[in-house]
Amino acid sequence: MIRRLAWPASVLVVAAAGVLSLTVGTRAVPLSAVADALLHGGGSPDALVVRSLRLPRTEIGLTAGAALGVAGAALQAVTRNPLADPGILGLSQGAAAGVVIAIGLGLADGFSGYVWYAFAGAVLAALLVYGIAARGRDGASPVKLALAGTALSAMTAGGTTVVLTSSAATLDQFRFWQVGALSGRDAGTVVRMLPFLAAGAVLVLGCARGLDALALGDDTARALGHRVAWVRGSAALGAALLTAAAVAAAGPIAFVGLAVPHLARRLVPGGHRAVLPLSALLGAALLVGADVAGRVVRAPAEVPAGVMTALVGVPVLVFLVRRRGAVS
Amino acid sequence: MSGARRAGPPAQAPRRAVVRLRDQQSPSRGGRTTVAVLRPHPRLSFLVHRRSVGVALALLALLLAVMALSACLGQSYVSPAEVWRALRTGAGPHDLVVNELRVPRIVLGALVGAALGAAGALVQTVTRNPLASPDVIGVGHGAAAATVLALATGAVGSPAAMPLVSVAGGLGAAALVHVLAWRRGVQAGGRFVLVGVGIGVALSAVVQLYLADSELEAAEQVKLWLTGSLNGRGWEQAGPLGAVLLLALPALVWAGRAARPLGLDADTAAALGVRVDRVRLGVTVLGVVLAATATGAAGPIGFVALTSPQLARRLTRTPQLPLLCSALTGALVLVAADLVARTLLPPLEIPVGALTSLVGGPYLLWLLGRRSAVR
Repeated sequence: MIRRLAWPASVLVVAAAGVLSLTVGTRAVPLSAVADALLHGGGSPDALVVRSLRLPRTEIGLTAGAALGVAGAALQAVTRNPLADPGILGLSQGAAAGVVIAIGLGLADGFSGYVWYAFAGAVLAALLVYGIAARGRDGASPVKLALAGTALSAMTAGGTTVVLTSSAATLDQFRFWQVGALSGRDAGTVVRMLPFLAAGAVLVLGCARGLDALALGDDTARALGHRVAWVRGSAALGAALLTAAAVAAAGPIAFVGLAVPHLARRLVPGGHRAVLPLSALLGAALLVGADVAGRVVRAPAEVPAGVMTALVGVPVLVFLVRRRGAVS
Repeated sequence: MSGARRAGPPAQAPRRAVVRLRDQQSPSRGGRTTVAVLRPHPRLSFLVHRRSVGVALALLALLLAVMALSACLGQSYVSPAEVWRALRTGAGPHDLVVNELRVPRIVLGALVGAALGAAGALVQTVTRNPLASPDVIGVGHGAAAATVLALATGAVGSPAAMPLVSVAGGLGAAALVHVLAWRRGVQAGGRFVLVGVGIGVALSAVVQLYLADSELEAAEQVKLWLTGSLNGRGWEQAGPLGAVLLLALPALVWAGRAARPLGLDADTAAALGVRVDRVRLGVTVLGVVLAATATGAAGPIGFVALTSPQLARRLTRTPQLPLLCSALTGALVLVAADLVARTLLPPLEIPVGALTSLVGGPYLLWLLGRRSAVR
């Protein structure tokens, strides 16, 4: 019963989050006015708010949340680790450091410029964290991966602070981006995100069967005819692309990719070909929902969506850590 | 069979067995034992590790040298003779720079570093895990969150009460981590550290939550505090911290002795007659109080508590973490880092917390890359 309803229910939740994101805020816009603004445009204040402020931020929330959800599911499968998440593994901070360096050196402006540096930073961070955690006898255990990610995050945060302290102009450009807020992005961002998201999604979804096989262990996966190294590399690269696009658009947002795949795995059978798309839906709903909650919880001020996802995500992390078998 | 048993070493009192064990583990050089027994009174005796004494003296000399250097260097150079005259007379052309600007922050840096180093040694001894230092398990974040709430809401008026606020926050966070990591006893290993990391993230999210709608002036004040910098801080922070350190001194002397058997595993320590749970609790609370007070005085400065005890142990080559040498190393690291942060990119100042993170992050990664650091 639950399993049959999982798909329509998820779509409904995403739609509801989207509608809430369009209507709720400092200026409440009634649903009819939202529909009117979307369909006919017009110059009324309500229409302006909806079309120029709320619509871009909802679009970015949906796409970035979907990207982070898929990236989390892929990383959890690749590292065979229930605690994997682009934020916990340091990918998001790596991407952020790439963006800061790009801004600080005056190399890039706007999303299309940021995204390449974010991508480079995310890939470097992934290689570094996995390389360090995989050393030693017991391989890349959850604790070591999480701690390596934390250490890398702290280090890049320190480096970021040094760059920001020495350049006031960078600070001014960066601080709006850094907090992980969805507001204040221009309308074209989501269109420019799409190629990166599509490439990442193709890479990850293309090896969904391989990810299923990885869960059985490397040897079994190999015996089933999967090229293990190729599956890992392609899924990790796809996750890095998705993370980079999401971070470049919305700033470093952690914990979306942690909880969502666990929920998705419980809701649907059928391995990663079902889990990955459902993670995308649930991730989109979670991020947009967090953004809406951030607008409400301390109104009229706004709490960045990244802060809200951390508050939601940490209890999930603690629950997963406490669960038997998560930490050996 | 029985003959062989009779020929074996006679049974010994357990406490002496510990001493023997240590003798065999640490390298003795030139035929001299590595420990000496000081017996100032027939009923009072101290076990002194010879190398540790030398290391402590060397660290102290180095610390004083760096403090003196730090008093001379900065935006304007003041010669050592001038510094000495300004210190002695409290007057002269350099009085403002030396006595008002530099000396307070140097003293504060040394106190904060010493408190963090000692706290790191205590907590790492209890958890028997180099990663479970106060800054990793959320004590710093707890102290920071409590201080930010107090600053942002204006609930605590007097600056003298701020150390209490940060200690309460640090203790609260430590207790929360402890409770959440508890499942049939606290393992020192992964669960504890991971829960600590998670709580740290949640607490910094709470800080952001309060930053979002507080008054602009309060937000500026909080932001300045959150960078973890010694800039613009001085006697009003150093005073309470120094008082706490002085009050904690007897407890530290106790902890230095009591924590020694905790380096062994719990069963061995219990067999030696140590009340393991009580000693653990006391030592942990002491470490958390020290770390939280230091955070309250200077903002969150990462990685000093993590690295100092490990560095100190590599210097002294003792099997357990040396408390005094850890404190001295912490003070040295922080004063030196502050000197670099002040003079690297003049006229700007890098927050010293950013600098210690830049240096400490790779160290933590290296620690993880080694075998057996995490079980």
